[in-house]
Amino acid sequence: MSDAFDRGGLIDLAELPDASADFDGFLFDLRDRFGLDHVAYAGMNPINRSVVGHVTYPDEWKLHYAQRGFQRIDPTLHRARRSIAPVDWTRLERDKDYLAVFNEARDFGISDQGVTIPVRGPYGDVGGLSLTSSGPRTDWTALCRQNLHLWQALAVHVHDLVISSDSFSNLLRGPSLSSREREILQWTAEGKSQQDIADILVISHRTVEVHLRSARHKLYALTTAQAVGRAISMSLIYPG
Amino acid sequence: MILIVDALNKDKFHSVLDDMFRLRARVFAGRLGWDVTITDGREEDQFDALDPGYVIGLDEEGNVVACARALQTTGPHMLSDVFHSILDGEPPLRSATLWESTRFCVDTERLGRGRMRGSVSHATSELMLGAVEYAMRSGISDVITVIDPVMDRVLKRSGNAPYDYVGKTVSMGKVAALAALLDCTEERAASIRAHAGIEGDVFLTDEEALALPVIAAAEARTTTAGLRKSPLEAYCDEQIAAATTAKERVDALRLKAALADRVRSHSDISA
Repeated sequence: MSDAFDRGGLIDLAELPDASADFDGFLFDLRDRFGLDHVAYAGMNPINRSVVGHVTYPDEWKLHYAQRGFQRIDPTLHRARRSIAPVDWTRLERDKDYLAVFNEARDFGISDQGVTIPVRGPYGDVGGLSLTSSGPRTDWTALCRQNLHLWQALAVHVHDLVISSDSFSNLLRGPSLSSREREILQWTAEGKSQQDIADILVISHRTVEVHLRSARHKLYALTTAQAVGRAISMSLIYPG
Repeated sequence: MILIVDALNKDKFHSVLDDMFRLRARVFAGRLGWDVTITDGREEDQFDALDPGYVIGLDEEGNVVACARALQTTGPHMLSDVFHSILDGEPPLRSATLWESTRFCVDTERLGRGRMRGSVSHATSELMLGAVEYAMRSGISDVITVIDPVMDRVLKRSGNAPYDYVGKTVSMGKVAALAALLDCTEERAASIRAHAGIEGDVFLTDEEALALPVIAAAEARTTTAGLRKSPLEAYCDEQIAAATTAKERVDALRLKAALADRVRSHSDISA
């Protein structure tokens, strides 16, 4: 099976010996947390243009997808990632590529009600997190509206983890925190709340928040506590 | 009225993008004197090749009267690659829920004075609102925008004041440039609406935009093959063309939009 994936230029992370991060578990958690049918991540290496994928789809569909070489035409990969905004699949043109993939997906019980959140990295690396649900349309619309901002953050998180697990990208990527981001993280490490920090630095609460969010992303952290821990371990700030 | 054009629908709107690049040339090279490259009367740079999202203000005929460009801060964008002097040596902000907005401009030649529809003030507010609402519905919480001090004052008196600034003000041709932060929230959208008296949905669907006379005529000229219209679509377009008042035309546009799926599905079958 891994043979089939490699031949198609599609690498299943679970098959890689060095996949230390539990991407599978992360995507399954995501699926269950939001009551989705499936969650899929695909990233493209800008150097050799190979597709790195990780999905909650059943093995039969993964195998079929790879054997048919769908990663070369799948519009949720190639069309959707060129948007800057999340792409609801109703926006994708029903062309022959779309029909080729989704007519067969339907036979495997895969819904074409979905959204792809495109991710762009700083080195020309691109990716996308796709989420699907076969529930009623109105529920789906409400779910998207309510959670898109979270999914945006999670999409970039998964993308950064996957890309940074690649040794080439690792060399390029050291977290480059601005002095304001470091300053705010330092005060956080001292146990100050966001409002305290805003008062101390005489800036708005929102400015503290936007810098913290940026710092979290640069440190591949989902929570502020994680970001503080990592910043300390990398000697970017001092322990509080 | 606001149209969003990105990589997924830009093939339908060649003439609109062309108009937009010409407007940008007049504003940024002409009026503002920024150091930008003009080719064939169009201002287009390397970031336009990265499939940005364009927020485009159209008048009732379909002329481009305002525009702005949005990029994700997770990928290449102007503050990371070109405007780094504003950041004073500091690395740029990078966040999944932060977009960068650049090249915000309004056609002061075509638009009139005052605050009614068709004025510079109204088009400016409508574009600001379109940008905020486009970001909000994409799950974006904040926008960082590169503007000049004039634009900064316009934002402040349009009920759309930045909540903070990043970096410093630097010289950029005839004027200065700075980076401002704006939250994308219901409160901000409501404030812009209240200031300009804008009610209802400002966004056009692709079909509604394509039916505007200037766009329909331009696209008809550029489409060499031109798919034959379905009878339903032809009827809708006749109604739009025959409209004598603004209200009739809006009603006709709504009819076509409401029937968009049937209009579209027919052309899919015939294509």
